[in-house]
Order: sequence, then C-alpha cells, then structure tokens
Amino acid sequence: MTTSDSGRGAEIGPPTADDLRAVHFTPASMLHPGYTDREVDAFVARAADELARLTEENTQLRQEVAILEQQVAEAAARPSPSDQAVGILATAQLTADQYVSEAEDFSRQMTSEARAQYEEQLAAAREKAGAIIQAAQEAAASIRGNGVPVVSGGQPESEELQEQVAYLKAFSQACRVQLRSYLEALLSDVETEWGRAHPGALPTPPRGTRPQQLERGRPDVAFAGNATTDDTEPAGAVPLSRSSS
Amino acid sequence: MDIPAMRASFAKAAAHGDQVPLWFYSHLFLTHPETRDMFPVSMAHQRDRLFAALGEVVARVDDLDTLVPILQQLGRDHRKFGALAAHYPAVGASLLATLEHFDDEWDDALAASWAEAYGVIAEVMIAAADEAADAPPWWEAEVVGHDRRTIDVAVLHLRTEQPLPYLPGQALSVETDLRPRLWRWYSPANAPRPDNALELHVRARDGGPVSTALVRQAQQGDVVRLGPPVGHLALDVDSDRDLLLVAGGTGLAPLKALVDQVARQGPARRVDLFVGARTEDGFYDRADLHRLAQEHPWLTVTCAVSHEKSSALEHGDIGDVVLRHGPWNGRDAYVAGNPATVEDTVTRLHAAGLPMGRIRTEVFAPSRPSPTVDGKVTE
Repeated sequence: MTTSDSGRGAEIGPPTADDLRAVHFTPASMLHPGYTDREVDAFVARAADELARLTEENTQLRQEVAILEQQVAEAAARPSPSDQAVGILATAQLTADQYVSEAEDFSRQMTSEARAQYEEQLAAAREKAGAIIQAAQEAAASIRGNGVPVVSGGQPESEELQEQVAYLKAFSQACRVQLRSYLEALLSDVETEWGRAHPGALPTPPRGTRPQQLERGRPDVAFAGNATTDDTEPAGAVPLSRSSS
Repeated sequence: MDIPAMRASFAKAAAHGDQVPLWFYSHLFLTHPETRDMFPVSMAHQRDRLFAALGEVVARVDDLDTLVPILQQLGRDHRKFGALAAHYPAVGASLLATLEHFDDEWDDALAASWAEAYGVIAEVMIAAADEAADAPPWWEAEVVGHDRRTIDVAVLHLRTEQPLPYLPGQALSVETDLRPRLWRWYSPANAPRPDNALELHVRARDGGPVSTALVRQAQQGDVVRLGPPVGHLALDVDSDRDLLLVAGGTGLAPLKALVDQVARQGPARRVDLFVGARTEDGFYDRADLHRLAQEHPWLTVTCAVSHEKSSALEHGDIGDVVLRHGPWNGRDAYVAGNPATVEDTVTRLHAAGLPMGRIRTEVFAPSRPSPTVDGKVTE
C-alpha cells in the first residue's frame, strides 16, 4: 500500500520504518539528475508529521511515567506509622467514641423521660376531664329525673352545663397543647446541646475564642458535664458540640 | 494462596477483638489522612461492621460462588461513601500491617497470600463499582415538605434531581448534613414518580442521631443524600393474588408504596391494609389512608390500637386484629413493623394456614446499619 518501492505510493498515512528503509524515488528527467522533487518533498513532509506525532506522544508518556513514578515513590515514602503513633490515635478515637455514646445516652434518657412524663400527665388530664364531664352529666340527669320543671327552669341550667362541658373540653385541649410544647422545648434542648458532630467541623475555633480559653487556663477541662454552654468548650476537644459563636 | 494459614492468622487477630479494627483504622488514617473524612466521628459501629465483613470474607474465601456477589454488592454500595479505586491499595496496606501486628509468626509467605487475596477482593469490588458507574453514586434530594405528624413522627417529602430507580417496598439509605457520614435506611412510601417525588416516614428514636435530626431539625430546603435501593419486600410480580398488608408504626411506608404500585400499575386486585399503633395518636398518616380508601374501591384500611381502651377503633395487637378479619389463606401477605409485631403477626398467619412462602416481611428496628449479606434490611 505504501511507498515500499516508490516514493509516489499512497501519499497519506504515516510512513513506517520499513517504508523509510525501502523508499525508492523515481529518477528525474535526463535534464535533472536526482529524484523527483515533488515525491521527495511529499515523503519528507509525511515523515516529519509522523516524527512530530511520535515526539509529542513520547513527551506525554514520559510525563505519565514521571507522575506514576512519583506516586509510587510517595506510596513507598509514606512511612508505616510507629506502633506508638497508632496507639495514640486509637486511644483518641476511643475517647471520641465514648463521648459520642455518652451524648447519645444522655439524649436517650432525656427524651424517654420527657415522653413518659408527657404521656402520664396527658392521661391524668384526660381522666380528670372525663370524670368532671361525667359528674356534670349525672348531675344534669338527676335534676331532670327529680321532676324539676325542665322547660322553664331547666333550660338555663342545661345551658350552663353545656358551657361547663365546653370549658372542660377546651381546658383538656389546652393542657394537651401546653404539655406538648413543654416536651417539644425539652427535646429541642437536647437536640441543640447534642449538636452536630462532624470530623471536620471544629478544627478552627472562631476568632477570639483562643485567647479567652488561654486566659481561663484550663483548656483541657473534661467537658462531658459542661458541653451545654458554648463558651466552655475546649478548643481541641472532640467536636461533639457545635459552637454557636 | 494458603487459605488454612490465612484463616489461622485471621483467628489470631480476631482473638484480640475490637483492638484489631481499632488498630486497622488508626493505621489507615495515619498513612492516608484523607480517608478519615469518609467516616463518622464515632467509629464504634464501623469497627463492628468491618470485623463482620472481614469474617464473612475469610469464612467464604473458598466458596467464590457466594463470596463474589457479596463483594460486588459491597463494591457498589461503597460508591456512596466516596470510595475510589485509589483507596483500595491504601486499605490493603493497612490490613496487612494490622494482621502482621497481631501475628507473632507473620512471614513473607503469609503476607504474599493475604496480598493476593486482597488483590482479588479489591478487583471484584472495583469492577462492580465501575459497572455501576452509569448510575450516580448517590442522589441528592431536596426536602420540599416537612410535616411533623406526631411528637415523634415526621413525613418528609423529597424530590431528587435525577430519577432514582427503585421498586416499591425497597429501602434507600439516607444521609443528612445534620449528621454527616451516618447512613440510615428508610423506605419510600410511594412508587417511583415521573416528578421524582419521594415520601419518607421517619420516627425519632430516643437517642437515635439521624432519626431525631430528620424529625426535629430537618426543614424545607435541606438537601439529603440517598444511596442505591436495596431490600426484598418488592411485590411478587408473578402473582396476581389479592394482598394482605400489615403495618406497625412506620412500617406503613413500604406497604403504602405497594398500594401505590397496585393503584398505578396493577394488576387489579383486592388489598386489605391493617395498620397498628399503641394509641390513636400513633396514626400519623390517617388522613392520607382515608383518602386512599375513598379513592380506591379495591382497598380497605383498618386501624387498630393496642393500648387505648377508650378509642372507638378496633382494639388489640395488630396480628390478633388481622386474624379476626380472616381467613387470609388465599392472599400474599406483606408485614412490616417492629421486630415483635412482625414476628407475632407472621407466627399467627402461619398458624392460621398461610404458607410461609407467601409471607414477606421487613423488620423496622432502631438504627438499621446496613442490609445483611442476604439483602435483608434488618439489624
């Protein structure tokens, strides 16, 4: 297909090494010794293109090799950490795990106690309201049963009773709403105090907190008990509690 | 690969319990600090899981027919954590270092065996992850509605940007920025929609970090991440039997999705849905269930309470109530709820003559970390 026996062969596509070795150009006319200029020029151009492509490819490959070598070197150069270092990080991790689990326990206790209280009070309020309504109804029935003139005198009383019943129903509803909002408040307290736990959440304390903490002089104070207030949170502590500052 | 020797060395390490994964992760984070960000603050559960997974692999290493699908599932599932092919050698190096640390008789031959085995494992996992590369590693979903239904339950309406293909009844893992790196499983309560809308039912568990955040802190406009679907509660497409659906608590979600599927895709059949709760306040989705029962003549919804005598609803444990309405022997049964409810209901249905093969269950327990190797979304 190519110029294996003539420089005039297929004049597209890269010449192969064999092409170069076997290239043969047609002698020019009697008047012009040497090869046909056009054929030689075209062939040289094709060879130049291919050489340029190969050079570029070569450069790219060299770069890739360099990157890979660097990666290999980096991987090899990452020294295996000492047992001591691994031990220290392991202890730190266990401490963090413990704080998280304490926070979860705390939240669990608070929430379940709050709910128990809510349900208890709600049940009590319901029972009370039910008893009052029932007593009122019994009273109404006995008034009617005693033959008290219902049409004239009973009307206002029954209205009064109905008002009472309505009031009690409203009272029961209000109890319920209040208890619920009380519980909501408790739960939201637990949530906020517990806060957001993210490994990268706390590496940089907000500006101005560090000096304060240095002044206080106890930056390493254990905070399991006082994590609730933002300003006592130690700078280097496990980020269990989000500072709102 | 000298499998008996590898098992022996793993047994030596396993004798040290939690120390081993603790050492492994500490080693990994020291050599490749960039991997630390892929994990939650507390690593306690993570360590259990790694150990369980490694034990699984070592136990089945000579049974490739079962091992390979497990590894493939692991590889696909790890995409959502941001695991890349480049992380696998790092993990392998730390694994070998860990095994070496806990083995007095560690030698080059053992190291070569483990390296070879790990190479195969990584190759299978990476290949599976690559095959799944057409689908996104996770789907971002916006909270378009957050509806607190009771003190503990919220219904979240989500919308994904990209379509998320799943079968009604399957579960998705959910991660929120409120509790980074903690993934929990929830079942959408609807069949996939053209507008990519999803409905999740979330119960706040006492002390549960993700569920409480989703119920009490998440709000409209938040973005959550969803992992690929898993689970086996999907409707048996080869059957056109009528359905019996039994839900306790938020176990209602996957069953509501099945109702949605019957409504949208058929085949037409009778569906009886029983929903149990302790008290009337527990029926967080009553209005919508009522609407569904009104719209679909083939659907009946029965609510029953177990702990509220003054209620006008049916009274009793849900399994009991279901049997009172039987017989159900011609049905396909789907049961979802807390472990006690599911077990009780299944036992009763089976005792009443329904074959086990026609009862499908999903257990909803606090903190469902991930599906088991069988694909069950349980603890």
